[in-house]
Amino acid sequence: MSITLSGITKRFGDFTALDNVSLEARPGEFLALLGPSGSGKTTLLRIMAGLDFPDTGSVSFNGSDITDRPVADRAVGFVFQHYALFRHMTVAGNVGFGLSVKPRRERPTKEEIRRRVDDLLELVQLKHLGGRYPSQLSGGQRQRVALARALAVEPRILLLDEPFGALDAKVRKDLRRWLRELHERMGLTSIFVTHDQEEALELADRVVVMDHGKIEQVAVPVDVYDKPASAFVFDFVGESNRLPVTVGNGRIVFDNVAIEGAAPDIAEGAGQLFFRPHDARLTQEGAGVPATVSSARPRNGAVRIEAQVAGLELPLELDIPSDQAPSTGSAIFVQPTRAKLFPAGQTIASDQV
Amino acid sequence: MMALFFSPRRRGIGGPLWVRIVLILVALSFLGLFLVLPLVAVFREALRDGFGAYLEAIKDPDAISAIKLTLITAAIAVPLNVVFGVLAAWAITKFDFKGKNLLITLIDLPFSVSPVVSGLIYVLLFGAQGWLGPWLESHNIQIIFAVPGIVLATVFVTFPFVARELIPLMAEQGRDDEEAALSLGASGWQTFWRVTVPNIRWGLLYGVLLCNARAMGEFGAVSVVSGHIRGETNTMPLHVEILYNEYNFAAAFAVASLLALLALVTLVLKSALEWRYGYHGSNTGH
Repeated sequence: MSITLSGITKRFGDFTALDNVSLEARPGEFLALLGPSGSGKTTLLRIMAGLDFPDTGSVSFNGSDITDRPVADRAVGFVFQHYALFRHMTVAGNVGFGLSVKPRRERPTKEEIRRRVDDLLELVQLKHLGGRYPSQLSGGQRQRVALARALAVEPRILLLDEPFGALDAKVRKDLRRWLRELHERMGLTSIFVTHDQEEALELADRVVVMDHGKIEQVAVPVDVYDKPASAFVFDFVGESNRLPVTVGNGRIVFDNVAIEGAAPDIAEGAGQLFFRPHDARLTQEGAGVPATVSSARPRNGAVRIEAQVAGLELPLELDIPSDQAPSTGSAIFVQPTRAKLFPAGQTIASDQV
Repeated sequence: MMALFFSPRRRGIGGPLWVRIVLILVALSFLGLFLVLPLVAVFREALRDGFGAYLEAIKDPDAISAIKLTLITAAIAVPLNVVFGVLAAWAITKFDFKGKNLLITLIDLPFSVSPVVSGLIYVLLFGAQGWLGPWLESHNIQIIFAVPGIVLATVFVTFPFVARELIPLMAEQGRDDEEAALSLGASGWQTFWRVTVPNIRWGLLYGVLLCNARAMGEFGAVSVVSGHIRGETNTMPLHVEILYNEYNFAAAFAVASLLALLALVTLVLKSALEWRYGYHGSNTGH
């Protein structure tokens, strides 16, 4: 089932949560909505579900317009950030809820419901816990109950709001892999909201990066990381260094030093240059940005250098193979090997904090 | 318990031992003087002429009629306020709309206004000289100095109890559960009965208890609209006052003891609810 959003705008009072957003999810796709808090990603998900309604714009499933349909008519499974399990019902009661509220004509018999609940609990690996209450479960178990409950009504679309947000790191990782498998096995179109870029890059077929109610980029994970469409995406996804530069005569210049590693492909004038910590070369002398090493610590099999540059507020962060790492206090020259240039006006995530 | 209270480890918080003992004694004697003593006095006075006289006073036709009227009033006012209270709390906590704060303020109005004024409002509205008086008279409808007036005044005075109890509870629980139920295909009605009501049931019960205690015990507002017609428009509190003014102390205290009993039962139930389900009983209720 495909989902098409076109021209969605949503305001809450004076606050514009979504500003003319269009997006398409292909059938069977696993899509991540990634952005900082307040970027509009959860609102977008709720509009797809029919829990919120856009001020303008339309939502279609498989080409048919369902903008005004309430959530109950949309056949979507929605998993809430805090699970929203019914605390007065057992796990089995929760999972069977969607079946037991069907109109009498369509409602399965009690035995049939029990059988389907058992199947679902087996699917989420909680078969023996049907008689427990939500308060007696761990976070990861509650999450899986919430999933089973959403799947019970056989949705064609699965929407998940920060599905791993409330879990600790280990459970998170296991559940992530498991969810990915489940998505493939059930052949659903799944969309999840997250502010964790690692989660989005690892899990999704395509990542939708959002900021301030707008979509900054829609791309496969590799492209989001390697070919960021804007300064915001470069800064928000992965680690990055930023240099204020001037572009002129086909050259990029920072403080009288010519910078390599990027094409001067923006209009002449002020620009900002971004590069990843692992995309830089250090030399003891010669062409590069002069800097002083202020710390050197092991990290991910390399050494993370922090280098102070005169006139820059934040130090540059650089990953250098441990055999080439300079010592703290030494003077170095930094030359980006692979960088990307953006106009000076674009804001980045760290500017908003 | 006492050992824990007076143990040296607690000294840092509680100050010297004698300060704590003095404070506890002051609190206890205050409680005894102003709460326990009057309560004991009520029962003592009620039973002064023996249990026979006590029963006699309660079985008096006027007393029976007052008890009946009180029960009827509560039986109408409490369910009405349950419906109003749940609707108001639902609207305030589950929807955003203009004038929400005004509504919250209005719900508190009966708490902030003197009960006598509440009664007078109805006299002004429905009394013979009131705005609607002539119309009511021409249609032969009597509200003031009759049962409908008493019920109206009681409903007004007890309006905030259920709503006030539910608003913080429902606000804390948020809309997620309801949205989850709707997303699973439940109708609004199914969502309300199968998700919302079980989530608020203990808070609701608590509100009903308080509402009922006040509905049966209300004096001021009811006194203004009642007209004090014996055997017809006297509720229990009004009946107690009449008996007392007639120096019929034994009978007055006998009826009063019933009201005191109601208060005690309410308190015990309230404490039991709090003990069993924690404060407001929202998170562990299953």
